[in-house]
Amino acid sequence: MYDAHAEQDWRAWFAEHGARLRLIARQWTRSEADADDVLQEAFVRFWKHQRHLPGDPNALVVTSIRRAALDLHRRTDRRTLREQVVSADAEAVMDFEPEADPRLQALARSLPSLPAEQREVVVLKVWGDLTFEQIGEQLAISPNTAASRWRYAMEALRRLVTARTYE
Amino acid sequence: MNNEEDIESALRRLRPRAPSPALVGALGRELDAAPASGRGVILRWAAGLSAAAACLLGFLLFGRAPATVAPAYQLVRAEQPPASVDLFDPVRLQDGSFVRPVRVRWSNETHWEDQRTHTRLINYSPSEQFGLIPLETY
Repeated sequence: MYDAHAEQDWRAWFAEHGARLRLIARQWTRSEADADDVLQEAFVRFWKHQRHLPGDPNALVVTSIRRAALDLHRRTDRRTLREQVVSADAEAVMDFEPEADPRLQALARSLPSLPAEQREVVVLKVWGDLTFEQIGEQLAISPNTAASRWRYAMEALRRLVTARTYE
Repeated sequence: MNNEEDIESALRRLRPRAPSPALVGALGRELDAAPASGRGVILRWAAGLSAAAACLLGFLLFGRAPATVAPAYQLVRAEQPPASVDLFDPVRLQDGSFVRPVRVRWSNETHWEDQRTHTRLINYSPSEQFGLIPLETY
């Protein structure tokens, strides 16, 4: 599904995977614009230099996104707290396409309510298509910790969706 | 949506928002250029560094002369200062004869100038020759 080794046309590959990659980038960035910058830098690096490397291309591109996001954080660490707060307020944009099913709507609205450490595990497992072992490598945690965060997230989402569905 | 599998299944049905056309356009500007293989990158770096070195050398040599016009140098001065001669103590060779070692040092200096820019090249070439002068003994 994510085989980029044989793919020659970046547009076709990005059209299929760009949305989920951007969602992953969004987990590690403070704003929509930052997510775009990170994804651009990571995807260009991946497509030019890494897609022919041995190994799982999907894990490679996620690693590239993670690295670009960390680099951006280091560069912008001196940003003032006020700017960060303003930015966070201004970026209340939904990460998903609208859904007709009210339960899916509730789920999409609930995801941002998760603690960041749980949400990134969910995003990496569902849209990154990574195993708990790969997630552990990405986040420098053990696979058991990743699995534990996943279970907490599922339980929290179940409660949130139930509450929101009957609001 | 009561258990973990239901929630995971529902999550997988959510469709992340597509990247903006601006992002796709920015990627296009970077990726639609000529493909850069590892060897290509090395060659481009080598060519770039060579060009930079040539520019630097040209700047140092020709100063204010425009790079597109070849300089025309003419000989404006030639000097050959008097040679210096060093005579050493006589030595005896294996055949019993005596010789005096002598060392002669001289230099040639020529000045070339581009009349248009007054850029001047000075060519200095020192030379040295070593010889033996036979001595007669009585």
